[in-house]
Amino acid sequence: MKRLLTPLLWLLLPLGALGHVGSPNVFFTGQAGPHTIRVVIRPPAVLPGVAQVDVRVATDGVTNVTLQAALWEAGLDAAPAPVEASAVAGETNFFSGALWLSRAGSFSVHVNVAGGGGSGTAIVPLNSSATKRPAMPPLVGVLLVALGVALSLGVVWLAGVAARESVLEPGTFTGPHERHRARAVAMGAALLLGAALFAGKTRWQRMDREFRNNSLSQPQPVAATVRSNGTLRLLQITPSAADAPGGPAWDTLATDHGKLMHLFLLREPDFDAFAHLHPVRRDARTFENVLPPLPGGRYQLYGEVTYENGLNRTLVATVSLPGSAASAVPQLMGRSNLLNEAFCASAYVPATNSAMPVALDADDSWHVGAASATLVARLMGGYTMQFLTAGEMVENREAALRFVLLAPDGQPAALQPYMGMFGHAVVRRTDGAVFTHLHPVGTISMAAQELFARQARGEAGTATNGLAPVTTPTNVVHDVSFPYAFPRSGDYRLWAQVRAQGRVLTGVFDVRVIPAR
Amino acid sequence: MAAWTAGLMFLAAAGIPLSLLWDFSWESTVGVDRFWAPAHTANYLAVALAGLVALRIAVHSTRTAATRAGTLRLGGLHAPLGAWVCLWGALAFPTAVVFDRWWQSAYGLGAGIWHPPQILKAVSFFAILTGAWLLAWKGQNEAPPGAAARAAVAVAGIGGLILAMITVVMLPSLYPNRQHSASFYKILCATCPLVLVALAAAGRRRWPATVAALVYTALVCVMVWLLPLFPAKPQTGPIYNALDHLMPPPFPLLLVVPALALDGLLRWWNWPAHRGRAWLQAGVAGLVFFVAFLLAQWLFAEFLLTPDADNRFFAGGGRHWPFFLKIDEASRSIFWETRADELNFSSSVAAVGLAMLSARVGLWLGHWMSRVRR
Repeated sequence: MKRLLTPLLWLLLPLGALGHVGSPNVFFTGQAGPHTIRVVIRPPAVLPGVAQVDVRVATDGVTNVTLQAALWEAGLDAAPAPVEASAVAGETNFFSGALWLSRAGSFSVHVNVAGGGGSGTAIVPLNSSATKRPAMPPLVGVLLVALGVALSLGVVWLAGVAARESVLEPGTFTGPHERHRARAVAMGAALLLGAALFAGKTRWQRMDREFRNNSLSQPQPVAATVRSNGTLRLLQITPSAADAPGGPAWDTLATDHGKLMHLFLLREPDFDAFAHLHPVRRDARTFENVLPPLPGGRYQLYGEVTYENGLNRTLVATVSLPGSAASAVPQLMGRSNLLNEAFCASAYVPATNSAMPVALDADDSWHVGAASATLVARLMGGYTMQFLTAGEMVENREAALRFVLLAPDGQPAALQPYMGMFGHAVVRRTDGAVFTHLHPVGTISMAAQELFARQARGEAGTATNGLAPVTTPTNVVHDVSFPYAFPRSGDYRLWAQVRAQGRVLTGVFDVRVIPAR
Repeated sequence: MAAWTAGLMFLAAAGIPLSLLWDFSWESTVGVDRFWAPAHTANYLAVALAGLVALRIAVHSTRTAATRAGTLRLGGLHAPLGAWVCLWGALAFPTAVVFDRWWQSAYGLGAGIWHPPQILKAVSFFAILTGAWLLAWKGQNEAPPGAAARAAVAVAGIGGLILAMITVVMLPSLYPNRQHSASFYKILCATCPLVLVALAAAGRRRWPATVAALVYTALVCVMVWLLPLFPAKPQTGPIYNALDHLMPPPFPLLLVVPALALDGLLRWWNWPAHRGRAWLQAGVAGLVFFVAFLLAQWLFAEFLLTPDADNRFFAGGGRHWPFFLKIDEASRSIFWETRADELNFSSSVAAVGLAMLSARVGLWLGHWMSRVRR
């Protein structure tokens, strides 16, 4: 009987969607006015539910931290009053609060930090969506079956006994007529009950199917094909054949770091070839990218896009590239078996008849080579990358994944911004159950953050391509760190990308994440 | 059954629709739906009280040969049929709660509203109310002349609680804005005549159906008038309708009008005794219910949407909406779905047909319940 009016609400619910795979928690490092904060949001696995928000403040003297969640379509005006995050006992400058999320959608969490020399607000985008596949614990199943059997027997007994004795005067006894009638009624009740249970089971199955298809957040399968254009190979991404012609379209995307899509190619089965590309949108249902000289084989594709309402989606596909590792890039494999180069050639357009772009994006990069078994990865040009971890990796334990680049002389190299950031990282669990794309600001989509900031400022319009100007940091840094917590234990591979002396370098590491005790 | 036992059972039974109306208001105003929310807790207490009273009746009935006489036996326990039905409901409810807890953790609201545990919960509520009703009928059927009035009022009163429960289950479909649509009349015609006709045909004393309708009206009115006295505001978003007090449910339906007509028809009309009498009675009762209810509610709904009804008494005027409902200004005080779901000749015939069937079941139910002795 709960939520009696929610059938009306149900009609308004959008479909679930989420960027990343198997990694729903949100990590953010940034500024709230004068305060540097680190925010971790653990959204509920089903909706409605509670999002747990932890805020660590780098500055002392903060007296008050409030949290407010606003749905994109409704804006901040329709958000509930901010809730206060309370200081965590025994901790310094650490605050925790809970936000009740009633529905799926694109939310902005406004974290306001006051005291200690000023106040300010940070906007953290949050995709709210069901992320957990329904599964019943065996004990609950056994308990429900036992109670169900007892209740079913009770119905049949009640029907029979009501037909047999309920109208008999006290002190009188049942005759054969009553007993026959009771048997007939009990059988009728059993049949009706069976039909009701069958109807309930059918309803459950239908609801479960609809939940998995429409509400449960999952990566969106798309189709990836490779075609040749002269000497170039073009990778084309379109909606999957299973989608109706009026299905998903990409005409309402916002740019993230100046790109509409960030596409990652990982070669199966060892994931020793990696590419981070930025396909160009041809039309609302087509993206294209020139393929760099990657070795042949079967690749997993992960494409990350952000919609104009701040929702992220991860598109997934597989594609086979022709040729062998040796034949595809013989000139670049070299003795080191390492390939690590940002291809920055200008567009090459045949003058004759093709309007297709036939150049790689200046920020495209790729890497071929085995992962480092140690915490040091050898890179091209004598560079090395060190993975600086503080002890073992534990599931769901927040940690900064920190990397430092060493020049051939062994000294830390100055990092150059790469798409507005000092680094990009990709995390993938060996079985593919987890995939996520990290930045030094965390897991958030900066496009979504900018969209919400514009909305909060009351700026009209969210032009698809005019968004998220890539601001280039000017400070000199020698290391980069990514706030994250591995959502599950197991073996992971990390790809950390930085730029030095105009060259994008990718360090590849294998890490083992142990279960939380 | 002792008077205090009957009183406690009535309190428990009344607590179910009352707590559900409170819950409806809470979720429309506050939105945060925790397991131990006040309205939920009240609901658990009502069910627990009904179960405990039924258990007390069973224990008491088992004691001596005399108390066992008018009971049904299961294992070593003896209890009247009504107590057994109540106990079944009181067991079905925690089953539904366990199932629902798992469902909420697995699907949330992502799989729809009327899911299997929710349906089981509704079934358990109706079972408890039916059990309480059976106990009241048994009391009426056994009542000595001195206690007949009280027993008859108990039967009619719990009948009113069942009417309240029916309207609570259907609440989103019964908003004043829907009260000119065919679905609205079909829902009411399929359900309410069953209770009203059973009472009108088999209740003791005068006007049992009318008393039941008055109990229903009073119960809902109490919530319409009391709930808005309590400050509350939404704790989740988006908030499309700002609220600062608990939202009142819609004003009760004018079921008292068809109830009066049915009491008059079935209690005071001199029906000829012949073989098809029950079907004739059901046919006429169904038609009378539809016409009387249509005339009363159609006009009353128009009033409820006017500014004149925008006050504490009627809580109308199209002003009280759940915080989460995005509804434009124009739609607040007009009738919805009048074209797609129009009440025309064919939909009226369908509604009358449903009312006749419901009345026929009500006649059978009344006939049986008026003879229940155990």
